[in-house]
Amino acid sequence: MGDPVPTVKFLGLTFNIANDISILLTCIIVFLFVFLLSRHLALKPKGGQNVLEWLIEFTNGIVKGSIKGNDASRFGLYAFTLFLFIFVANQLGLFLHIQVGQYTYVKSPTADPIVTLTLSFMTVALAHAAGVQKKGLKGYLKDYTSPFLVFLPINIFEQFTDFLTLGLRLFGNIFAGEMLLSKVATLATDSGSWFSYVYSFPIEFLWQGFSVFIGSVQAFVFVTLTSVYISQKVSPEE
Amino acid sequence: MLSHLILGASSSLYLGDMLFIAISFIILMALIAKVAWNPVTKMMGDRADKIANDIDSAKKSRQEATDLAEQRREALSHSRSEASDIVAEAKQSGEKQRTTIVADAQNEATQYKQNARKDIEQERQDALKNVQSDVADISVQIASKIIKKQLDPEGQQALINSYIEGLGKHES
Repeated sequence: MGDPVPTVKFLGLTFNIANDISILLTCIIVFLFVFLLSRHLALKPKGGQNVLEWLIEFTNGIVKGSIKGNDASRFGLYAFTLFLFIFVANQLGLFLHIQVGQYTYVKSPTADPIVTLTLSFMTVALAHAAGVQKKGLKGYLKDYTSPFLVFLPINIFEQFTDFLTLGLRLFGNIFAGEMLLSKVATLATDSGSWFSYVYSFPIEFLWQGFSVFIGSVQAFVFVTLTSVYISQKVSPEE
Repeated sequence: MLSHLILGASSSLYLGDMLFIAISFIILMALIAKVAWNPVTKMMGDRADKIANDIDSAKKSRQEATDLAEQRREALSHSRSEASDIVAEAKQSGEKQRTTIVADAQNEATQYKQNARKDIEQERQDALKNVQSDVADISVQIASKIIKKQLDPEGQQALINSYIEGLGKHES
Protein backbone atom coordinates (compact mmCIF):
# COMPACT_ATOMS: atom_id res chain seq x y z
CA MET A 1 0.00 0.00 0.00
CA GLY A 2 1.20 3.37 -0.88
CA ASP A 3 3.42 1.58 -3.36
CA PRO A 4 3.81 2.74 -6.92
CA VAL A 5 1.49 0.96 -9.31
CA PRO A 6 2.46 -0.66 -12.58
CA THR A 7 0.67 1.06 -15.42
CA VAL A 8 0.67 0.72 -19.16
CA LYS A 9 -0.84 2.93 -21.79
CA PHE A 10 -2.76 1.19 -24.53
CA LEU A 11 -4.93 2.84 -27.15
CA GLY A 12 -4.72 6.03 -25.16
CA LEU A 13 -6.17 4.35 -22.09
CA THR A 14 -4.26 3.88 -18.88
CA PHE A 15 -4.29 0.41 -17.37
CA ASN A 16 -3.23 -0.57 -13.89
CA ILE A 17 -1.79 -4.03 -14.46
CA ALA A 18 -2.04 -5.00 -10.80
CA ASN A 19 -5.77 -4.26 -10.72
CA ASP A 20 -6.38 -6.06 -13.96
CA ILE A 21 -4.58 -9.19 -12.87
CA SER A 22 -6.46 -9.23 -9.57
CA ILE A 23 -9.79 -8.71 -11.30
CA LEU A 24 -9.04 -11.46 -13.77
CA LEU A 25 -8.06 -13.78 -10.94
CA THR A 26 -11.25 -12.92 -9.06
CA CYS A 27 -13.33 -13.59 -12.14
CA ILE A 28 -11.61 -16.92 -12.70
CA ILE A 29 -12.10 -17.98 -9.07
CA VAL A 30 -15.78 -16.99 -9.13
CA PHE A 31 -16.34 -18.75 -12.42
CA LEU A 32 -14.59 -21.94 -11.33
CA PHE A 33 -16.51 -21.93 -8.06
CA VAL A 34 -19.84 -21.60 -9.82
CA PHE A 35 -18.84 -23.93 -12.62
CA LEU A 36 -17.78 -26.74 -10.31
CA LEU A 37 -20.86 -26.39 -8.14
CA SER A 38 -23.23 -26.47 -11.10
CA ARG A 39 -22.14 -29.87 -12.43
CA HIS A 40 -24.62 -32.76 -12.21
CA LEU A 41 -27.76 -30.69 -11.79
CA ALA A 42 -30.73 -32.72 -10.67
CA LEU A 43 -34.29 -32.15 -9.62
CA LYS A 44 -33.38 -33.56 -6.25
CA PRO A 45 -30.32 -31.49 -5.39
CA LYS A 46 -27.28 -32.70 -3.55
CA GLY A 47 -23.85 -31.45 -2.62
CA GLY A 48 -22.69 -28.56 -4.78
CA GLN A 49 -26.10 -27.83 -6.19
CA ASN A 50 -27.43 -27.29 -2.68
CA VAL A 51 -24.70 -24.76 -1.95
CA LEU A 52 -25.33 -22.97 -5.24
CA GLU A 53 -29.08 -22.90 -4.69
CA TRP A 54 -28.60 -21.62 -1.19
CA LEU A 55 -26.44 -18.79 -2.55
CA ILE A 56 -29.01 -18.00 -5.24
CA GLU A 57 -31.80 -17.99 -2.68
CA PHE A 58 -29.67 -15.73 -0.50
CA THR A 59 -29.02 -13.08 -3.16
CA ASN A 60 -32.57 -13.40 -4.48
CA GLY A 61 -33.72 -12.77 -0.93
CA ILE A 62 -31.67 -9.58 -0.79
CA VAL A 63 -33.11 -8.40 -4.09
CA LYS A 64 -36.69 -9.31 -3.19
CA GLY A 65 -36.24 -7.53 0.12
CA SER A 66 -36.29 -4.17 -1.63
CA ILE A 67 -37.58 -4.67 -5.18
CA LYS A 68 -41.23 -5.62 -5.22
CA GLY A 69 -43.14 -7.65 -7.73
CA ASN A 70 -41.94 -9.19 -10.96
CA ASP A 71 -39.04 -6.78 -11.38
CA ALA A 72 -37.03 -8.63 -8.75
CA SER A 73 -36.38 -11.70 -10.90
CA ARG A 74 -34.71 -9.59 -13.60
CA PHE A 75 -31.97 -8.43 -11.28
CA GLY A 76 -31.31 -11.77 -9.61
CA LEU A 77 -28.39 -12.68 -11.87
CA TYR A 78 -26.76 -9.26 -11.46
CA ALA A 79 -27.05 -9.43 -7.67
CA PHE A 80 -25.73 -13.00 -7.60
CA THR A 81 -22.70 -12.21 -9.76
CA LEU A 82 -22.06 -8.96 -7.90
CA PHE A 83 -22.17 -10.64 -4.53
CA LEU A 84 -19.81 -13.45 -5.49
CA PHE A 85 -17.45 -11.07 -7.27
CA ILE A 86 -17.19 -8.60 -4.39
CA PHE A 87 -16.99 -11.37 -1.81
CA VAL A 88 -14.13 -13.13 -3.57
CA ALA A 89 -12.43 -9.82 -4.38
CA ASN A 90 -12.59 -8.78 -0.73
CA GLN A 91 -11.09 -12.03 0.50
CA LEU A 92 -8.48 -12.33 -2.24
CA GLY A 93 -6.06 -9.82 -0.72
CA LEU A 94 -6.36 -11.35 2.72
CA PHE A 95 -4.40 -14.44 1.84
CA LEU A 96 -2.75 -13.54 -1.40
CA HIS A 97 -0.34 -10.69 -1.96
CA ILE A 98 2.08 -11.30 -4.79
CA GLN A 99 4.79 -8.73 -4.99
CA VAL A 100 7.28 -8.69 -7.83
CA GLY A 101 9.95 -6.05 -7.56
CA GLN A 102 8.36 -2.85 -6.35
CA TYR A 103 4.87 -3.67 -7.59
CA THR A 104 2.15 -5.69 -5.87
CA TYR A 105 0.49 -7.64 -8.65
CA VAL A 106 -2.16 -9.59 -6.79
CA LYS A 107 -4.25 -8.04 -4.01
CA SER A 108 -7.90 -7.29 -3.32
CA PRO A 109 -9.11 -5.44 -6.40
CA THR A 110 -11.76 -3.81 -4.21
CA ALA A 111 -9.01 -2.07 -2.24
CA ASP A 112 -8.68 0.29 -5.21
CA PRO A 113 -11.31 3.04 -5.49
CA ILE A 114 -11.28 2.80 -9.27
CA VAL A 115 -12.62 -0.73 -9.05
CA THR A 116 -15.27 -0.05 -6.41
CA LEU A 117 -16.41 3.14 -8.08
CA THR A 118 -16.71 1.31 -11.37
CA LEU A 119 -18.86 -1.35 -9.73
CA SER A 120 -20.93 1.36 -8.10
CA PHE A 121 -21.19 3.17 -11.43
CA MET A 122 -22.46 -0.02 -13.07
CA THR A 123 -25.09 -0.38 -10.39
CA VAL A 124 -26.25 3.21 -10.68
CA ALA A 125 -26.28 3.00 -14.48
CA LEU A 126 -28.32 -0.19 -14.31
CA ALA A 127 -30.73 1.44 -11.88
CA HIS A 128 -31.24 4.45 -14.13
CA ALA A 129 -31.60 2.29 -17.23
CA ALA A 130 -34.16 0.11 -15.46
CA GLY A 131 -36.00 3.24 -14.34
CA VAL A 132 -36.21 4.60 -17.87
CA GLN A 133 -37.24 1.21 -19.22
CA LYS A 134 -39.92 0.79 -16.60
CA LYS A 135 -41.46 4.27 -16.51
CA GLY A 136 -40.45 5.76 -19.82
CA LEU A 137 -38.24 8.81 -20.07
CA LYS A 138 -41.00 11.15 -18.93
CA GLY A 139 -41.88 9.20 -15.84
CA TYR A 140 -38.20 8.77 -15.06
CA LEU A 141 -37.55 12.50 -15.22
CA LYS A 142 -40.69 13.24 -13.27
CA ASP A 143 -39.29 11.30 -10.33
CA TYR A 144 -36.66 13.99 -9.85
CA THR A 145 -39.31 16.53 -8.93
CA SER A 146 -40.97 14.33 -6.38
CA PRO A 147 -42.44 15.03 -3.96
CA PHE A 148 -42.39 18.56 -5.44
CA LEU A 149 -40.24 20.79 -7.60
CA VAL A 150 -38.17 22.21 -4.75
CA PHE A 151 -36.56 18.82 -4.29
CA LEU A 152 -35.07 18.83 -7.79
CA PRO A 153 -31.52 19.88 -6.80
CA ILE A 154 -31.55 17.57 -3.82
CA ASN A 155 -32.66 14.65 -5.96
CA ILE A 156 -30.00 15.33 -8.55
CA PHE A 157 -27.37 15.70 -5.87
CA GLU A 158 -28.53 12.42 -4.33
CA GLN A 159 -27.65 10.53 -7.50
CA PHE A 160 -24.01 11.50 -7.07
CA THR A 161 -23.88 10.86 -3.36
CA ASP A 162 -25.44 7.42 -3.89
CA PHE A 163 -22.83 6.61 -6.47
CA LEU A 164 -19.91 7.88 -4.39
CA THR A 165 -20.94 6.45 -1.03
CA LEU A 166 -21.66 3.03 -2.54
CA GLY A 167 -18.21 2.79 -4.09
CA LEU A 168 -16.20 4.50 -1.38
CA ARG A 169 -17.75 2.54 1.47
CA LEU A 170 -16.54 -0.71 -0.03
CA PHE A 171 -13.17 0.75 -0.92
CA GLY A 172 -12.66 2.23 2.55
CA ASN A 173 -13.43 -0.98 4.38
CA ILE A 174 -11.28 -3.22 2.24
CA PHE A 175 -8.46 -0.72 1.81
CA ALA A 176 -8.25 -0.17 5.57
CA GLY A 177 -8.23 -3.90 6.19
CA GLU A 178 -5.43 -4.53 3.74
CA MET A 179 -3.47 -1.53 4.94
CA LEU A 180 -3.54 -2.77 8.51
CA LEU A 181 -2.63 -6.29 7.42
CA SER A 182 0.45 -5.06 5.58
CA LYS A 183 1.37 -2.79 8.49
CA VAL A 184 1.25 -5.74 10.86
CA ALA A 185 3.32 -7.76 8.40
CA THR A 186 5.84 -4.94 8.23
CA LEU A 187 5.90 -4.84 12.02
CA ALA A 188 6.88 -8.50 12.04
CA THR A 189 9.58 -8.29 9.39
CA ASP A 190 11.11 -4.90 9.98
CA SER A 191 12.19 -5.09 13.59
CA GLY A 192 14.84 -7.63 12.70
CA SER A 193 14.19 -9.71 15.78
CA TRP A 194 12.53 -13.12 15.71
CA PHE A 195 10.45 -12.07 18.71
CA SER A 196 8.37 -9.67 16.60
CA TYR A 197 7.02 -12.65 14.69
CA VAL A 198 5.72 -14.12 17.93
CA TYR A 199 3.48 -11.22 18.86
CA SER A 200 2.58 -10.08 15.37
CA PHE A 201 1.33 -13.49 14.30
CA PRO A 202 -1.77 -13.50 16.55
CA ILE A 203 -2.48 -9.87 15.65
CA GLU A 204 -2.31 -10.66 11.95
CA PHE A 205 -4.37 -13.77 12.51
CA LEU A 206 -7.08 -11.89 14.41
CA TRP A 207 -7.20 -9.06 11.91
CA GLN A 208 -7.45 -11.48 9.00
CA GLY A 209 -10.41 -13.14 10.65
CA PHE A 210 -12.03 -9.78 11.24
CA SER A 211 -11.35 -8.77 7.65
CA VAL A 212 -13.05 -11.89 6.37
CA PHE A 213 -16.07 -10.83 8.37
CA ILE A 214 -15.88 -7.26 7.09
CA GLY A 215 -15.43 -8.45 3.52
CA SER A 216 -18.54 -10.64 3.75
CA VAL A 217 -20.60 -7.88 5.34
CA GLN A 218 -19.48 -5.37 2.72
CA ALA A 219 -20.41 -7.72 -0.11
CA PHE A 220 -23.83 -8.11 1.48
CA VAL A 221 -24.19 -4.35 2.03
CA PHE A 222 -23.16 -3.56 -1.54
CA VAL A 223 -25.73 -5.94 -3.00
CA THR A 224 -28.42 -4.73 -0.59
CA LEU A 225 -27.80 -1.08 -1.51
CA THR A 226 -27.71 -2.02 -5.18
CA SER A 227 -31.18 -3.48 -4.96
CA VAL A 228 -32.36 -0.50 -2.90
CA TYR A 229 -31.15 1.94 -5.55
CA ILE A 230 -32.72 -0.11 -8.32
CA SER A 231 -35.98 -0.31 -6.42
CA GLN A 232 -35.97 3.46 -5.95
CA LYS A 233 -35.83 3.83 -9.72
CA VAL A 234 -38.33 1.15 -10.72
CA SER A 235 -40.85 1.37 -7.90
CA PRO A 236 -44.06 3.20 -8.77
CA GLU A 237 -44.58 6.63 -7.26
CA GLU A 238 -46.33 6.73 -3.97
CA MET B 1 -0.99 6.61 -3.87
CA LEU B 2 -4.42 8.10 -4.14
CA SER B 3 -3.20 10.93 -6.32
CA HIS B 4 -4.68 9.16 -9.34
CA LEU B 5 -8.07 9.71 -7.79
CA ILE B 6 -8.08 13.46 -8.08
CA LEU B 7 -10.79 14.02 -10.62
CA GLY B 8 -9.04 16.98 -12.20
CA ALA B 9 -6.04 14.90 -13.10
CA SER B 10 -7.98 13.02 -15.73
CA SER B 11 -4.84 11.76 -17.40
CA SER B 12 -4.12 9.59 -14.38
CA LEU B 13 -7.67 8.30 -14.09
CA TYR B 14 -7.40 4.71 -15.17
CA LEU B 15 -10.13 4.65 -17.75
CA GLY B 16 -8.68 1.42 -19.04
CA ASP B 17 -9.23 -0.21 -15.67
CA MET B 18 -12.82 0.88 -15.58
CA LEU B 19 -13.45 -0.61 -18.97
CA PHE B 20 -11.56 -3.73 -18.00
CA ILE B 21 -13.63 -4.21 -14.86
CA ALA B 22 -16.89 -3.51 -16.59
CA ILE B 23 -16.16 -5.84 -19.49
CA SER B 24 -14.76 -8.65 -17.40
CA PHE B 25 -17.69 -8.34 -15.02
CA ILE B 26 -20.16 -8.54 -17.89
CA ILE B 27 -18.32 -11.55 -19.35
CA LEU B 28 -18.33 -13.19 -15.93
CA MET B 29 -22.04 -12.52 -15.63
CA ALA B 30 -22.72 -13.99 -19.07
CA LEU B 31 -20.67 -17.08 -18.29
CA ILE B 32 -22.40 -17.58 -14.95
CA ALA B 33 -25.75 -17.13 -16.64
CA LYS B 34 -24.90 -19.80 -19.19
CA VAL B 35 -23.16 -22.27 -16.91
CA ALA B 36 -25.06 -22.00 -13.67
CA TRP B 37 -27.75 -19.39 -13.34
CA ASN B 38 -30.10 -20.44 -16.11
CA PRO B 39 -29.93 -24.20 -15.52
CA VAL B 40 -30.13 -23.86 -11.75
CA THR B 41 -33.01 -21.41 -11.72
CA LYS B 42 -34.78 -23.54 -14.31
CA MET B 43 -34.25 -26.54 -12.08
CA MET B 44 -35.57 -24.61 -9.11
CA GLY B 45 -38.61 -23.56 -11.09
CA ASP B 46 -39.17 -27.14 -12.23
CA ARG B 47 -38.94 -28.29 -8.66
CA ALA B 48 -41.43 -25.69 -7.51
CA ASP B 49 -43.80 -26.84 -10.27
CA LYS B 50 -43.30 -30.48 -9.37
CA ILE B 51 -44.00 -29.82 -5.72
CA ALA B 52 -47.13 -27.89 -6.60
CA ASN B 53 -48.24 -30.72 -8.88
CA ASP B 54 -47.49 -33.28 -6.21
CA ILE B 55 -49.56 -31.37 -3.71
CA ASP B 56 -52.43 -31.17 -6.18
CA SER B 57 -52.27 -34.85 -7.06
CA ALA B 58 -52.00 -35.78 -3.40
CA LYS B 59 -55.14 -33.80 -2.73
CA LYS B 60 -56.84 -35.56 -5.62
CA SER B 61 -55.78 -39.01 -4.47
CA ARG B 62 -57.01 -38.27 -0.98
CA GLN B 63 -60.34 -37.20 -2.42
CA GLU B 64 -60.46 -40.41 -4.42
CA ALA B 65 -59.63 -42.46 -1.38
CA THR B 66 -62.38 -40.77 0.59
CA ASP B 67 -64.83 -41.44 -2.22
CA LEU B 68 -63.81 -45.08 -2.37
CA ALA B 69 -64.18 -45.47 1.37
CA GLU B 70 -67.62 -43.89 1.17
CA GLN B 71 -68.58 -46.27 -1.63
CA ARG B 72 -67.30 -49.23 0.29
CA ARG B 73 -69.20 -48.22 3.39
CA GLU B 74 -72.34 -47.87 1.31
CA ALA B 75 -71.79 -51.26 -0.31
CA LEU B 76 -71.15 -52.80 3.06
CA SER B 77 -74.35 -51.49 4.58
CA HIS B 78 -76.19 -52.52 1.42
CA SER B 79 -74.83 -56.04 1.56
CA ARG B 80 -75.61 -56.22 5.27
CA SER B 81 -79.26 -55.43 4.66
CA GLU B 82 -79.25 -57.84 1.75
CA ALA B 83 -77.83 -60.54 3.98
CA SER B 84 -80.46 -59.94 6.62
CA ASP B 85 -83.11 -60.10 3.88
CA ILE B 86 -81.72 -63.40 2.70
CA VAL B 87 -81.69 -64.76 6.22
CA ALA B 88 -85.26 -63.63 6.81
CA GLU B 89 -86.36 -65.15 3.54
CA ALA B 90 -84.62 -68.41 4.37
CA LYS B 91 -86.23 -68.45 7.76
CA GLN B 92 -89.61 -67.86 6.22
CA SER B 93 -89.20 -70.55 3.60
CA GLY B 94 -87.91 -72.92 6.24
CA GLU B 95 -90.95 -72.23 8.35
CA LYS B 96 -93.18 -72.84 5.39
CA GLN B 97 -91.41 -76.05 4.54
CA ARG B 98 -91.69 -77.19 8.13
CA THR B 99 -95.40 -76.54 8.12
CA THR B 100 -95.82 -78.46 4.89
CA ILE B 101 -93.76 -81.36 6.13
CA VAL B 102 -95.67 -81.50 9.37
CA ALA B 103 -98.98 -81.30 7.56
CA ASP B 104 -97.91 -84.01 5.13
CA ALA B 105 -96.76 -86.18 7.96
CA GLN B 106 -100.04 -85.65 9.75
CA ASN B 107 -102.00 -86.52 6.65
CA GLU B 108 -99.93 -89.57 6.06
CA ALA B 109 -100.30 -90.64 9.63
CA THR B 110 -104.05 -90.19 9.43
CA GLN B 111 -104.13 -92.17 6.23
CA TYR B 112 -102.04 -94.93 7.75
CA LYS B 113 -104.31 -94.98 10.75
CA GLN B 114 -107.36 -95.17 8.54
CA ASN B 115 -105.80 -97.92 6.43
CA ALA B 116 -104.87 -99.78 9.54
CA ARG B 117 -108.34 -99.42 10.94
CA LYS B 118 -109.82 -100.60 7.63
CA ASP B 119 -107.47 -103.55 7.55
CA ILE B 120 -108.34 -104.43 11.09
CA GLU B 121 -112.00 -104.27 10.28
CA GLN B 122 -111.40 -106.41 7.24
CA GLU B 123 -109.47 -108.89 9.29
CA ARG B 124 -112.17 -108.94 11.85
CA GLN B 125 -114.84 -109.48 9.22
CA ASP B 126 -112.80 -112.26 7.66
CA ALA B 127 -112.19 -113.83 11.01
CA LEU B 128 -115.84 -113.54 11.85
CA LYS B 129 -116.76 -115.08 8.55
CA ASN B 130 -114.34 -117.94 9.13
CA VAL B 131 -115.55 -118.38 12.61
CA GLN B 132 -119.09 -118.36 11.33
CA SER B 133 -118.41 -121.12 8.86
CA ASP B 134 -116.31 -123.07 11.36
CA VAL B 135 -118.92 -122.70 14.03
CA ALA B 136 -121.53 -123.82 11.56
CA ASP B 137 -119.46 -126.85 10.63
CA ILE B 138 -118.58 -127.69 14.22
CA SER B 139 -122.17 -127.18 15.32
CA VAL B 140 -123.35 -129.40 12.60
CA GLN B 141 -120.74 -132.01 13.48
CA ILE B 142 -121.59 -131.73 17.16
CA ALA B 143 -125.25 -131.86 16.40
CA SER B 144 -124.77 -134.82 14.09
CA LYS B 145 -122.70 -136.51 16.73
CA ILE B 146 -125.18 -135.67 19.48
CA ILE B 147 -128.23 -136.43 17.58
CA LYS B 148 -126.45 -139.29 15.79
CA LYS B 149 -128.54 -138.44 13.04
CA GLN B 150 -127.32 -137.47 9.65
CA LEU B 151 -128.24 -133.94 9.16
CA ASP B 152 -128.08 -132.40 5.81
CA PRO B 153 -125.58 -129.48 6.17
CA GLU B 154 -127.06 -127.66 3.21
CA GLY B 155 -130.63 -128.08 4.46
CA GLN B 156 -129.83 -126.69 7.92
CA GLN B 157 -127.50 -123.84 6.77
CA ALA B 158 -130.16 -121.15 6.78
CA LEU B 159 -131.20 -122.00 10.31
CA ILE B 160 -127.66 -122.00 11.64
CA ASN B 161 -126.75 -118.74 9.90
CA SER B 162 -129.73 -117.03 11.40
CA TYR B 163 -128.74 -118.31 14.78
CA ILE B 164 -125.09 -117.17 14.54
CA GLU B 165 -126.10 -113.79 13.21
CA GLY B 166 -128.35 -113.44 16.18
CA LEU B 167 -125.36 -114.41 18.34
CA GLY B 168 -123.04 -111.78 16.66
CA LYS B 169 -125.58 -109.03 17.07
CA HIS B 170 -126.09 -109.93 20.60
CA GLU B 171 -122.33 -109.77 21.18
CA SER B 172 -121.71 -106.43 19.51
